[in-house]
Amino acid sequence: MNENENNFESLRRLLALKRHETPPPGYFENFSAEVAARLRAGEGGAAERPAIELPWLFRLLSAFEAKPAFAGGFAFALCLLLLLGIVYAERPDVALQPLLRTAQVSSPLAMATPGDLSSPPAAQPGFISSTNPIFNTPSTPSWFVDSQPAIAQQVSFTLPGN
Amino acid sequence: MAEPVPVSQPQSSAPVNEDELVRGARRGDLKAYDELVKRYQERIYATLYHMTSNHEDANDLAQESFIKAFQALKSFKGGSSFYTWLYRIAVNKTINFLKQRKNRTHMSLDNLDFNAEHDPDLMALISEQTPRRAAGLTELQEKLNEALMKLSESHRLVVVMHDVQGLSHEEIAEAVDCNVGTVRSRLFYARQQLQGYLADYLKPT
Repeated sequence: MNENENNFESLRRLLALKRHETPPPGYFENFSAEVAARLRAGEGGAAERPAIELPWLFRLLSAFEAKPAFAGGFAFALCLLLLLGIVYAERPDVALQPLLRTAQVSSPLAMATPGDLSSPPAAQPGFISSTNPIFNTPSTPSWFVDSQPAIAQQVSFTLPGN
Repeated sequence: MAEPVPVSQPQSSAPVNEDELVRGARRGDLKAYDELVKRYQERIYATLYHMTSNHEDANDLAQESFIKAFQALKSFKGGSSFYTWLYRIAVNKTINFLKQRKNRTHMSLDNLDFNAEHDPDLMALISEQTPRRAAGLTELQEKLNEALMKLSESHRLVVVMHDVQGLSHEEIAEAVDCNVGTVRSRLFYARQQLQGYLADYLKPT
């Protein structure tokens, strides 16, 4: 390493020129006053701090700023979580069945007409038992999972010659 | 019960302990923070100036670094010195700024002080370049800053901290958050690059 230091001695002497570069006279006399003025103007002043302080959030944001890779990893994890959430939300057999059963039992329309209890409203064709949009989801197309069972219909063609 | 220690004292009295100033600033005491700013403003500004080669950018970045540090004081646990922590904030801010600025390099250099013309090492370097000393120094200053700006941010930072500001390898490793070996290899590579860029201005050893 000493040999390297000797090789660069001339360069180090040249770099010493940088130490002679100085800002305009009086610059440092005003510097701290400018910082203090900006702090008093609300950029981090105690009076402007939020009522609820979240030190963990500060630490998280500081970590993001110090290590961009950490921010990238965090963003990736969030995206993954969002994607999983969407995929699971699109599967009615997993998430909606219990809700459907509960909604059918507690439907206000069903309770209003006790005589119709023998035939549940949901079973009647074209009858909407609730304004809850969840009940409309089976008829909407899915982006990820096709939850609609395929319906096969017989088709017969009559040829003009027959 | 002991009286609280006043954080702003006349210059004739003994300097206030840094930990006391940090504790005061953490409670929102701007006078205490003002004292910390005064303590480190020159070193922080110098680093940022040598990194950007632009006085206005260095001024903005230095002010923003001090403001950011004040906002984040609650997260300062005291594991390192306040100066190292502040230095890290300033350096990260500057590197982000330089990455965004990319090739839009505009130099706005500070003037050379009076002592530069009396530095025997510098005089020896320029004596063969031009007979006019003032012009020679200014030209040398521009070439040196141009060469520094050709280095990557991480290499420039190590050269500035070691060869210009005189920090040790260990201090740089702590401030930049890497190991000493990385600091040494970056320094070697950066010096090699600079030697190539400035070959016309360096005497053969």
